[in-house]
Amino acid sequence: MAKTPKDDPANYPALGRWLMFLDKKKNVDRIVYGLYALCTALFLADFLYYKKVYLDLEKFPGFYALYGFFMCAALVVCAKLMRRYLMRSEDYYAPHDVEAEEYPEDGLDRESVND
Amino acid sequence: MAAEETHHVAKTFMDHLPVLQVVIPLFAAPIIVFIGKRSLAWPIAFAASAAAFVISCILLIQVLDGGFISYHVGGWAPPLGIEYRIDAANALVLALISGIGTVVLPYAYESVKAEIPKKNHTLFYACFMLCFTGLLGMVATGDAFNVFVFLEISSLSTYVLVAQGANHNKRALTAAYDYLIMGTIGATFFIIGLAMLYMATGTLNMADLADRIADEGTNRTIRAAFAFIVVGMGLKVAIYPLHHWLPNAYTFAPSAVSVFLAATATKAAIYVLLRFMFSVFNPSFVFEEWTLYIVFIPFSLLAMFAASFVAVFQTNIKRMLAYSSIAQIGYMLLGIAMLNATGLSATLVHLVNHGVTKAALFMGVGAMMLYSGSAFFNNLNGLGRKMPLTGAAMVASGLSLIGVPGTAGFISKWVLVQAAFENGWWIIAIAIMLSSLLAVIYVWRMFEVLYLTAPDPQSTAKEAPLAMLVPMWVLAIACIWFGFDTELTLGSARVAADGLLAGSAGMAH
Amino acid sequence: MIDTFPPFLIFFIGAAILPLIPQGNLRSAISLIFPVISAWLIWTMPEGLHLSMAFVGLDITLLRVDKLATIFGLIFSLAAFLSLLYAWHVRDTVQQVAALLYAGSAIGAVFAGDLITLFFFWEGTAIASVFLIWARGTEGAYHTGMRYLIMQIASGVILIAGAALYFRTTGNVEFTSMSDLFAAGDIGTILIFFAFGIKCAFPLLHNWLQDSYPAATITGTVILSSFTTKLAVYSLARGFPGTEILIYIGAVMTLFPIFYAVIENDLRRVLAYSLNNQLGFMVVGVGIGTELALNGTAAHAFAHILYKSLLFMSVGAVLFRTGTAKGSELGGLYKTMPLTMIFCVVGAASISAFPLFSGFISKSLILSAAAHDHYYVIWAILLFASAGVFHHSGIKIPYFVFFAHDSGLRPKEAPWNMLLAMGLTAFLCIAIGAYPAPLYSLLPYDVDYVPYTTTHVITQLQLLFFSALAFTVLMRTGIYPPELKSINLDTDWTYRKAGPSVIHWFSWVIGSFYTWLTKLMSKTTERTIKRLYRSHGPEGQMARSWPTGAMVLSIAVLLGATLFINFLV
Repeated sequence: MAKTPKDDPANYPALGRWLMFLDKKKNVDRIVYGLYALCTALFLADFLYYKKVYLDLEKFPGFYALYGFFMCAALVVCAKLMRRYLMRSEDYYAPHDVEAEEYPEDGLDRESVND
Repeated sequence: MAAEETHHVAKTFMDHLPVLQVVIPLFAAPIIVFIGKRSLAWPIAFAASAAAFVISCILLIQVLDGGFISYHVGGWAPPLGIEYRIDAANALVLALISGIGTVVLPYAYESVKAEIPKKNHTLFYACFMLCFTGLLGMVATGDAFNVFVFLEISSLSTYVLVAQGANHNKRALTAAYDYLIMGTIGATFFIIGLAMLYMATGTLNMADLADRIADEGTNRTIRAAFAFIVVGMGLKVAIYPLHHWLPNAYTFAPSAVSVFLAATATKAAIYVLLRFMFSVFNPSFVFEEWTLYIVFIPFSLLAMFAASFVAVFQTNIKRMLAYSSIAQIGYMLLGIAMLNATGLSATLVHLVNHGVTKAALFMGVGAMMLYSGSAFFNNLNGLGRKMPLTGAAMVASGLSLIGVPGTAGFISKWVLVQAAFENGWWIIAIAIMLSSLLAVIYVWRMFEVLYLTAPDPQSTAKEAPLAMLVPMWVLAIACIWFGFDTELTLGSARVAADGLLAGSAGMAH
Repeated sequence: MIDTFPPFLIFFIGAAILPLIPQGNLRSAISLIFPVISAWLIWTMPEGLHLSMAFVGLDITLLRVDKLATIFGLIFSLAAFLSLLYAWHVRDTVQQVAALLYAGSAIGAVFAGDLITLFFFWEGTAIASVFLIWARGTEGAYHTGMRYLIMQIASGVILIAGAALYFRTTGNVEFTSMSDLFAAGDIGTILIFFAFGIKCAFPLLHNWLQDSYPAATITGTVILSSFTTKLAVYSLARGFPGTEILIYIGAVMTLFPIFYAVIENDLRRVLAYSLNNQLGFMVVGVGIGTELALNGTAAHAFAHILYKSLLFMSVGAVLFRTGTAKGSELGGLYKTMPLTMIFCVVGAASISAFPLFSGFISKSLILSAAAHDHYYVIWAILLFASAGVFHHSGIKIPYFVFFAHDSGLRPKEAPWNMLLAMGLTAFLCIAIGAYPAPLYSLLPYDVDYVPYTTTHVITQLQLLFFSALAFTVLMRTGIYPPELKSINLDTDWTYRKAGPSVIHWFSWVIGSFYTWLTKLMSKTTERTIKRLYRSHGPEGQMARSWPTGAMVLSIAVLLGATLFINFLV
């Protein structure tokens, strides 16, 4: 269902309309810059308080920050590599699997705001 | 001494039963001819055979405990006089013969009307009575020469009966002719054997013969006599290489005759063979003889397979059933050759069961021939559906022919296989089962023709008349009945087998 | 007497009377009463053993009340209430009854004082729950349900076998700590451990979970996510506290599912993987077995049931409105389902353990326990797993459903009952996170742990925001793997593909040998029959009517032979 001419933001819930600023790339960029700023601040915060921890390793300034960043990057790269070997089409197990099926309509209540 | 004893033996009507059952049909035959009325021929014949059946049942009950009844004809005591001697073995066969005779006659009434010219009806029933007498006499008598006499009575009348099929198909005449030549040769061999025995022992009473052979041992004459008697009677039995008369005789004879012959003639001959082998020549003599192993076993195996294969390929259902009979005779001979009580019971029980089964099948075919005019498979297409009751009876007896559990055929084959295992002959046991598989094939072909093919649209076939259906169903039900209740058949067969294996001791006075 | 009325019976009575009530709002409303009564019963039950009796010569105890059982009983009742509220709109008697029986069995199992009672409820959860999968009514759901049922029943069978051996060793069937026997290598105890392991989705035994949960109905998945695995965690905490191998099993459990979760497309399956990962934390807690660790396990189970339900609810609501739960098909839904989006973000924040959300105050108990007992490698793994959880559950789920590229779907906001259920759950997640004291007071042991310290808050925020930074950078550089319509192979491949194809191969080999043999035989048979027909057929030598002379000759020959034999032999 592509965007139809009928798609009218006036039909959206008020909260949804308010959140529409996220549609603009500029605003998204602002959020991303905000994230950068926040991360910098958090990294620097490590120097400002007494770290009460169990391990010496933890005392290393920005340990959590770096651990989080690099481990997550590694996670994604590894997972991406796994796809090479593990990814199969959706109907690989069909018909003994739900992936290749549609969810039965009688269990759904599809309603569009534009209806 | 003889006179006193004889009076002592036969005082009441009951005491005369052994001879009465032979004499009644014997006299029925000339009476039918003398009265000469077509309408009275059948009732007289039926009354005579029914009387014989009742008598044989009474006799069977009397000897079931293992005893025997000795009747001295005319009061002359054996060995000089002729003795009728009833024990479990021949009482069982007598019951089979007279029972089949009694069941066949109602069936014959319709069938004869359809197949035989009217002018011959009276003579037909007279001949039938003679044949019936001959078979009963052969079995009942205890005198070796008397066996020959009755054998000839039955044989000669059978030739005439078979020849009656000529109205339908002229080949019945050549069949009867071949049967006559072969039967006569067989009878001749048999009488030669008897003569040799008489020469060696000076007696013709079976019990006496047995005593003397047991006392004096064997000599070349007796051995030669044994060979002649076995081959001569084997011809009547249709032991495998001596069977060539049988298919044509069964195929071309009138339906009622086929039914009667298939169920009784060879069976009576088997009984005589047994009687001579075990009671006259005693078992220890038979055991010494390699005849059984060298002749009987290979030929019975050959019969079981070769005849079954021929049956598989037949295109005429009557001929198929005839070859199946030859194969079944193989089983009976195999039972004899086992030389143990179980094997002999198997032979005797199969003799009865197969008689009943085959009679039912031939009856079914005869009923269908009323409409189809021939017994070729392609003329019988789909008739099972047009004649449901006839078809069902044939299915029931066909299953018994295969030996499906719950039918009479299963009981006899089961006992036979047991006997084989008793001897440790498991290869023979396997052979029995394999040849049963061949029976499955040819019986299946019959079912296929009767049910799985489209009936001829121009066929006028309808259900068989009641007079044919009732006898057919009596026998078909007997096929099932004897598959569950083995008391009567197997029980008396066991008693008879024990008596036979006791040898000449079993014949002692 | 009322104080020891077994709470599971409330659910069973409910399951019995519910079908009698006309289908509709009334029935849905009445179904909510049973978990409330159950929670009240559990709350007021005095500690100790109740309803002990002899059963076929065994001493069994239907109700064993202590703090560990109580907290699980309470959260199960709470979860049942929220799930039933979420399922208010469902008009399917089978699902309604199955849900009640399932919840009742799980609660019954938690209070079981012996292994026999445990076994009955154990199988009860298996049998009742499979109907929530079958209720979807598709062929795939049927097969998946079958696989699920086989695994669950197998677990029960192993459990009862283990219980029998355990009885032989100890002479009783009391369900208590078996750690010592297990360490001594007692086979019965090992079997029981294995049975728990299947239900707990230990690595290599885990795949029934990811296989079946996405196959259940929308509401069924929410219900399924709460009970089975947490019952297994409870059983481990009860039976095997301090069993060291559990630490390593748990560590692996936290680790490998996050990789799968990153590349999985079906978001309900992503949640199933992350559920597996969260179970790992609890298993580590049981393995460490200290008071702090067991408190952590219980607290984390409590918190986890709530936020995992919340996540399944929000994805379920999207599925309910759009017909799909696949990342590749969704996106941009924040405009029309903003409330669902917010609840989803609350759930995501909770599972990621943001300060002020429930995960923060429960997971840290386990991490601290690990570090405290010097399991540094384990601690590092758990830390990595925490970051990973944030990555796939905390960011991936909300991002791909509600943001990312606009899918063009403009579904309506979720129905009121779903919103209410999600709202209540979200509230509880935040309440527990912001004010953990009531939860701490429910834990099996006294708590002197303070989650909100400067160090803890700042380090946790560092970990999470730098993970988010990594996500952003990878997203913006296009390294992040896109959502693709696909599936990924897991251990179920062994029994769904490899096993069958090995069997298939064998049957092919045997089959082709058989074909060859039968072909050979049929050729031989054909030739034999032809030959037989030539000799035995109607025109064959054997069946031909012989001329009379030949017949007579055959008689003569036979007589001669018989005589010859008679004289010679």
